[in-house]
Amino acid sequence: MSPALVHDMRARLAFITVVVALSPLALVAQSFDVRVVADTLQLRGSGLGLIEGRVADHLRDGRSVRADFELTLLEKPRGSAIAHGQYGFIVSYDLWEQRFAVTRVGAPPRSISHLTARNAEGWCLESMTLPLATLGRFAHDVPFWIRVDYRVLDRAPAPNPEEDSAFGLRTLIDALSRRRQDEPPGRSLEAGPFRVGH
Amino acid sequence: MCPLVTVRRHGNAGRSRKCASRYNGPPLALLADMRIVTLLLLLASLAVPCAVARAQEPEPAEGTRIESAEVSGFAIDQLSPGLQRDIESLKGERFERDRINRLVERIEEEHPEVVAAVRTVSRPDDQVRVIFLIARISDDGDLVSNINARYTVESVEIQGVPEGTISQSLRDRLQRLVGGRLDTEADDLIDELRAERPGYDVSRRIQRGTKPGQIRVVFEFSETERLRWIPFIRSRSRYVYHSEQGWSGVHDIPMGGRYNRATVGFAFSNSDDLVEEYSGFRVRFESRRVGTERVGLSLEVSRFNNTFREPTLTALSANPAIPEPYRTRLTVEPIGTVALTRQVRVFGGVSFSNLVALSHSPDSQMASTVIGGLAYTQRWDLDSKSRSNVDAGYEIRSSALDSDLSYRRHFGHASYRYDHDDNTVIASVFLGRVTGNAPLFERFSLGDTSTLRGWNKFDIAPAGGDHVFHQSLEYRFHNVGLFLDAGSVWDTGTDKRIRTSTGFGILGDNFFLTLAFPINEGGANGTFMVGVRF
Repeated sequence: MSPALVHDMRARLAFITVVVALSPLALVAQSFDVRVVADTLQLRGSGLGLIEGRVADHLRDGRSVRADFELTLLEKPRGSAIAHGQYGFIVSYDLWEQRFAVTRVGAPPRSISHLTARNAEGWCLESMTLPLATLGRFAHDVPFWIRVDYRVLDRAPAPNPEEDSAFGLRTLIDALSRRRQDEPPGRSLEAGPFRVGH
Repeated sequence: MCPLVTVRRHGNAGRSRKCASRYNGPPLALLADMRIVTLLLLLASLAVPCAVARAQEPEPAEGTRIESAEVSGFAIDQLSPGLQRDIESLKGERFERDRINRLVERIEEEHPEVVAAVRTVSRPDDQVRVIFLIARISDDGDLVSNINARYTVESVEIQGVPEGTISQSLRDRLQRLVGGRLDTEADDLIDELRAERPGYDVSRRIQRGTKPGQIRVVFEFSETERLRWIPFIRSRSRYVYHSEQGWSGVHDIPMGGRYNRATVGFAFSNSDDLVEEYSGFRVRFESRRVGTERVGLSLEVSRFNNTFREPTLTALSANPAIPEPYRTRLTVEPIGTVALTRQVRVFGGVSFSNLVALSHSPDSQMASTVIGGLAYTQRWDLDSKSRSNVDAGYEIRSSALDSDLSYRRHFGHASYRYDHDDNTVIASVFLGRVTGNAPLFERFSLGDTSTLRGWNKFDIAPAGGDHVFHQSLEYRFHNVGLFLDAGSVWDTGTDKRIRTSTGFGILGDNFFLTLAFPINEGGANGTFMVGVRF
């Protein structure tokens, strides 16, 4: 992130504040926070658990992963959705730098490298924004909750169909059962209440 | 931090254009983005002469005078004043590798959205031109896919299968990755490797090379289903039509994962494998990892309603030694399997069948047996185009556990398959013997869509036989083929007549459409068969 952009963001933050109200319930696992930057709601934080375990091993083997995120604003915990957005990221691990690189896919793509695992997760969160205009009354001091769902795809080619299952229904069933068994790693996080204050 | 990286070589300018075509934004917007076009042109203009210079000259010696230091692909004024000053101050200085590398590190630290590399171009009078090549990661599709695409491939290795089993042309293409960047070509090769070695999954792993800025690419082959310690029981699904016997259907629906599977199966008037015609269902649970992958368990429960065709009932009435027919068959069969090696498995279990008499319902009989056997599966990948498979096995069932029907059944089979390009040869043989009073479903029959094709089982042995022998030879080219079957099914004390048949048609692994003729019969009546097996 360029220094000019950081400066601009700080200036805007001086005018707009986000009040984060932490209820006792939310204290349990508040993995992220929100703030308003340039009329958009932006997440902030880390600890998504994205670059851990199998995914981290996969990355350290020089492979890349794609993580598909869905950000949903809820009017109450597990409540109905107010707004949502979808975001895709490609993560790889620089074997010589021993740091992670992340690209947000979409138009325009944005990339960053030289990140620790925690910072890479944080960058993903920060890259997920929602325009305040889509929040309706929740953009004006009304509490809301946020749910972040993500799913990791290892970008590895699909396994071969079995020798004896190249036909129709069996293939379909096998494919479905494999998908269940090799369910891509993913997680769902929910936090709140948050409140946008002016 | 990597001390020095080499980013481009011959042809990389072309790759950059290819990457641009995979840019995620709208194509028109991309074309309009002059920054990217400018960067591509810049890299294109730099890559070729630099690569040529690199090919012709070694790295500049330490202490070589620096004629000039430039930044390419990035506006120098976006760098911090201190960094700009340090780069510009290289002019006239002595070339020091560590110093140059530190500047590369600083560029990337200040701008984590870019990668930087250094090019050196020798100049007259023992001077050198230093160019800091900077590229935005998001502008390069290969870097977006994997940040390690910035490094030079030092070596390419194959693991998991002997290298000789990969075609020379594909090995040559793998080797051509050396010296270049990791790009989409390496992904394309995965598909081609998988196509050459079905039965394996292929994945690509990258490791650090022996020198900074270099990487080793490893293509790993791992075994798929066919080479597991204990394979799942193969699907018995088929829908077939035999012009003498009509339609038969069996449909297995497997559900589950890598180690555990449940299969629900249905039979619809199936008369293709036994002398009885049966309809009903079966449920099978299989686990092929019970503590270890070498031990598996299965449990199958089936219930079928049975009917018998007139020729069978007539034959049964003529031979009272054969146990009476039944209207329903309920079977419970738990089996345990131990893999001694990946090729050899032993199995054992029990089978309980309750048979409700056809004519004296609800009277029933129990046919209970102890089961034991040995299975052998082997596969050889002779080269990239040729492979062969052997499947063989022996099974014994012996009545026990207060069975009403006392018998012993032996069955052995072996098949060999050789594939070379689009040519396939399959040779198979099986033989079996039953002693005692075996129920009808344990008796042998020949003359269906897979044995003695061209003959009708209800003409040969409508009540089956207690001995069987069969062999088959089949040749296929592009799934069109011909076959020769020979075999005999007979009862103890009766004539053992060897019958043969031949035929041709479409003979695929999943679909067949054949016309078959008995050879040593007076007439030349053909039998038409069509169906799917999956």
